[in-house]
Amino acid sequence: MKRRRVGWLFVAPWLVGFVVFTLYPFLTSVYLSFTRYDVVSPAKWVGLANYRALFTDDDLFGKSLLVTFKYACIAVPVGIVAGVALALLLNVDIKGQSVFRTLFFLPSIVPGVATATVFVWILNPEIGLVNGLLKNAGVIGPNWLGDSFWAFYSLIFMGLWGVGGSMVIYLAGLKDVPVQLYEAALLDGAGPWERTRRVTLPLLTPVIFFNLVMGVIGAFQYFDGAFIMTRGGPEDSTLFYALYMFYRAWRYMDMGYASAMAWILFALVVGLTGLVFATQRRWVHYGA
Amino acid sequence: MALRSLRAKGLLLALAFVALMAFVVWPKATPRKYPDRIPVRYWHMWTAEWADVIQRICDAFNESQSTYEVIPLIIPGSVGDTKPLLGVAGGDPPDVMTHWASVIPSWAAADWLVPLDAFMSKEELADFERETYPVARQIGMYRGRLFAIGVGLNAFGLYYLPDQLAEVGVTPKTFPRTLEELADLGTKLNQWDKRGNLTRLGFQPSWFSSLCESYGGGLYDWSTGRLTLNTPENLRALEFITAERKKVGFETVNRFNAGLDTGSFAGGWPFIGGALSITYDGQWRVEQIGKYAPTLNYRTIPLPPPKGGVPLAGTTNGNFMIIPRGAKQPQGAWEFIKFWSGLSDPARAAKFYTWGGWLPINDRIAQSPDYRAYLRRYPQFQTFVDVLRSPHYTTLPPVAYQQFLSDRATRAEDLSVRGTLAPREALRRFEQEVAHEIRRRKELGYVE
Repeated sequence: MKRRRVGWLFVAPWLVGFVVFTLYPFLTSVYLSFTRYDVVSPAKWVGLANYRALFTDDDLFGKSLLVTFKYACIAVPVGIVAGVALALLLNVDIKGQSVFRTLFFLPSIVPGVATATVFVWILNPEIGLVNGLLKNAGVIGPNWLGDSFWAFYSLIFMGLWGVGGSMVIYLAGLKDVPVQLYEAALLDGAGPWERTRRVTLPLLTPVIFFNLVMGVIGAFQYFDGAFIMTRGGPEDSTLFYALYMFYRAWRYMDMGYASAMAWILFALVVGLTGLVFATQRRWVHYGA
Repeated sequence: MALRSLRAKGLLLALAFVALMAFVVWPKATPRKYPDRIPVRYWHMWTAEWADVIQRICDAFNESQSTYEVIPLIIPGSVGDTKPLLGVAGGDPPDVMTHWASVIPSWAAADWLVPLDAFMSKEELADFERETYPVARQIGMYRGRLFAIGVGLNAFGLYYLPDQLAEVGVTPKTFPRTLEELADLGTKLNQWDKRGNLTRLGFQPSWFSSLCESYGGGLYDWSTGRLTLNTPENLRALEFITAERKKVGFETVNRFNAGLDTGSFAGGWPFIGGALSITYDGQWRVEQIGKYAPTLNYRTIPLPPPKGGVPLAGTTNGNFMIIPRGAKQPQGAWEFIKFWSGLSDPARAAKFYTWGGWLPINDRIAQSPDYRAYLRRYPQFQTFVDVLRSPHYTTLPPVAYQQFLSDRATRAEDLSVRGTLAPREALRRFEQEVAHEIRRRKELGYVE
């Protein structure tokens, strides 16, 4: 009994923090999504008006949703492919392997805001590093952040900078692949590509699945790069859902409306995560 | 025994850590200079050399009377909106604050601001309305009440380099009289390198909301209180901006701007380096040039109107003094506002305006000895005083969704100059987006 009490005492700070700073705001935002609320004045009940307005009177709502969907559809697979490829490369036993691993992992621990600020300069069309390199190769680089087509893809490109985070998880997954399977494949005459395709990738699918789920959730919450680098422009091409929600909440002071947006986002993320889970039986292989 | 000693060491270490944290985290109040007086907490967002100016003004106020002590606090611009609002929501806002003009209508509509006319006698209010420049008065008003008083208004005008104009045979005396002539001159002044890159920009118009006024339009009809977003005059303004951008090329100008040292607030201004021959900018550049390039040969002049347009017209913004709802010392706050803005003593306040390089809000300040001395020191500053005094100089529509409207106006201009939409279509869409926002706000029961 005493041990149990001590246990509760130890988790109490976290529990209090969770209830006060997560659970209470979480539940309150359900109520706020049915109100008109500007932070200062008391919330006024408006029923479903926020939700109705979102679907009937707000062009930017649909636009931001579309941008975010597009981002999730491109950035998540690209991130997975890059992460797996990098992990496979860094799994090869070469001299200085740990140094390379550290080098590729380091960018992922740089805060997103700092990364975005640096990339504003790297992607500058006239004096940026990327266009400087392209110029040396005889190519005139585009106006990465100022062009409504390229700005979106620039943010995806910048996302690869942090791929080291998922790479470490893939590396851990690669270590779990039983060596005897590779030996058996070798005996069967499988080459490197066949071994990767028939052994490594199938056994890596639980890790890929994990990164896919986290990637989808992260993609729908994407904010800081767009906020710092493009502010949603040009021509709303990088107006991500979370960014528009932030604008509604803090730029236009419409907390009730933003709460409704947050709950739609929550429902979407839960739905998509459920969808990803529903498909796992078909392609995720647990155990050798 | 060893375990007990280890425990004691651990406990001592924990205690030392707690003590250290308490020392670091424990709030330490800055000692007050006048502890017996009523404190008036003042928040602002000025930093660096500007913060020193604010401190001097606060010191001057504190020395001028014996009832209040104004205590300034710098808050980061990034939380300029949220921090005071959370202060109001939590019942602990500052007593007075300097904020950007753009928040006035939305905050006033939400009842977050104390009306300042409530502190004025009828005579004072009449004097204020009679003496204050129209735009300075207009920006502070919402639905007929005064909520803010300007202390750092901006005005915009043209800066040009006579030496570069001389290259194409233009002197200050023969400077263009119309916007169209100015655009032609700008084209002549453009310079390109062998690879076709723009190396010097003659003149490039922008600022759609402001230019609408020069064309006799504008986003708001102040006499009827209605939005006038999609009008023939506004369309002409947008068509002109678009056509001029098309001449040089949207991408060309973008790349040119990206290569400039625009990050520098003062000394690295591309105009100083000669990369811009004629440019439209704010009054603060005059003092910066005086400081960082005192030998630069330059002139300022108001933007010429288009043919048949309105002279000295445009829109502006600036820094305004407000009293948030829930302020504990509103009277002290009001005394400070009067002191600084010059409502109580214009001649005394004039020197505060010169310390900050700010534009006066009325002729009594502009004509004071201190301000006249400042204009003699910086003669190019006179252009901006003339612009600010103009009855055609105005502000963005005083509606609670001004920020949204301003964002969408900027976007309409962007869509048009990029060539994504024709100016007429960009304007139509702008009007439609604002109409949707108004409908949405009405449905939710917001005040317009």
